[in-house]
Amino acid sequence: MKKILLVCNAGMSTSMLVQKMKKVAGEKGIEVTIDAVPSTEVSQCWESADVILLGPQIGFMKDSIKDTVENKIPVEVINMVDYGRMNADKVLTVALDLIK
Amino acid sequence: MEKLFNKLGKVSQKLGGQIHLRSVRDAFASLIPFIIIAGLMIFVNNVIILPEGFMSKVIDPATLTSWQDIGTSIINGTLNFLAVLLAGACAYHLAVNKKFENPIAPAFLAISIFVILLPLVTSVIPVGAKEAVNVIGVLSLSSTNSGGMFVAIITSILSTELFIRLSKNEKLKINIGGEGVPPAVVKSFNSLIPIIITIVIFAIVSFGIKQIFGTDINTLILQIIQRPLVSLITSLPGFIFLMMLSNLFFAMGIHPGGVIAPIMDPILYIAMNQNMAAYASGDAIPNIINMAFKDTFGVMGGSGNTIALLIAIFLVSKRQDHKDIAKLSAAPSIFNINEPVIFGLPIVFDLTLMIPFVLASPICLTAAYFVTKMGWMSRVVIQIPWTTPPVLSGFLATGGDWRASVFQIIMIALTVLLYIPFLKLSEKKNNEV
Repeated sequence: MKKILLVCNAGMSTSMLVQKMKKVAGEKGIEVTIDAVPSTEVSQCWESADVILLGPQIGFMKDSIKDTVENKIPVEVINMVDYGRMNADKVLTVALDLIK
Repeated sequence: MEKLFNKLGKVSQKLGGQIHLRSVRDAFASLIPFIIIAGLMIFVNNVIILPEGFMSKVIDPATLTSWQDIGTSIINGTLNFLAVLLAGACAYHLAVNKKFENPIAPAFLAISIFVILLPLVTSVIPVGAKEAVNVIGVLSLSSTNSGGMFVAIITSILSTELFIRLSKNEKLKINIGGEGVPPAVVKSFNSLIPIIITIVIFAIVSFGIKQIFGTDINTLILQIIQRPLVSLITSLPGFIFLMMLSNLFFAMGIHPGGVIAPIMDPILYIAMNQNMAAYASGDAIPNIINMAFKDTFGVMGGSGNTIALLIAIFLVSKRQDHKDIAKLSAAPSIFNINEPVIFGLPIVFDLTLMIPFVLASPICLTAAYFVTKMGWMSRVVIQIPWTTPPVLSGFLATGGDWRASVFQIIMIALTVLLYIPFLKLSEKKNNEV
């Protein structure tokens, strides 16, 4: 099963988005694991993930996180407004496109 | 505008990526549970089961006093031992961030070195006595609590750097080769010589400093580095400047947690711990500005006190999408999480909304500072989780002073008035586009 990892500063606001994404995935019958972690924990758990999406507030960390994951999986920043308005559908589509 | 943003982005990338600052931040993050339980116990001991408090009508004060031992022992093992935990945590996170394969070794090493640097003779006041006496063979909690935090940070970073460098030196590895030797054994032998060298160097340097300056390294770091830094950042101008900068970063879409926090948080935690320790032992409270002070009066509903912006939207907004976002963010905002407001509205790059967003917290914090200074509400003495809802947070953080909650309500109301004109202007401007 594919795994999407969402990352933000404390893992709080992304966890809300994760809940919504799980719901959307469930409704669409897409089999996928989605998880939220704080940026400090990426180094410990990225290996099981297939794609990493960053909250826009830590977009500036994109390069250092790319470094952490040794460029082995795609790292992308979530669109600011999609993130704020919790457009789970759109974020999920972006994530799945990145895995392909 | 774009240029400025790119520049800020680069600065924050540099700061956020700076491995030592990041490691200190990670270390504090991993110690938060210990600080929170200490805060909870201080609240229980000094408010709920206080022998002179309201419970004494139901339970014998002597019994209450004996119950306080539970909280006191927890406070000793957490708050009063925080510098030791910090030394280990800093070293561990630095080693992990540097992708060192055996991060537990530098963690133990840092704790050991922290104790090596402690003074051999401790001045203590025996129970029942008035004069202090000098004793040996005792670790004083005054050097393992907030007083030792900078010693912990500095020595753990230096010792880990030195240790990792020595560990990479092939000549210092003991080859006990041969098949059948378990890898763990090889690992422990590999770190043997680097640990010995690091410990000896620190012990000798510490001894040398004592000989040259006539005082131990802990006192020097405390007086030359920690005290001046704490008084600079917990002074009103220094603190307000950093808070404005912090919210400005957020208004540019950059979470200040990775940028300003690594500089500001350790200092605010030190001030917090001094207050907690003083409150727990019934002494005068030293600081007005500290970690929970910032969260209680400057992060109501999230950075920029956006709980007021939500109320403003409910009151005057004419845009359906704004109302929808306010509804969506209401629940997380109660717990001071406001990314949906900041990015969904958005506040980011909306030059009109950025103004009250940057100003709201500094205004509330300045008011809180003077109200506290006048003695109209108690000083913030308890570290509460930053997710504690406003109004409740004021009561808890001040050790049960309801006036702090009233003050929070007044400040939220005033901040609503601050946000309303800017919100109207922003909606009008965006409608014209």
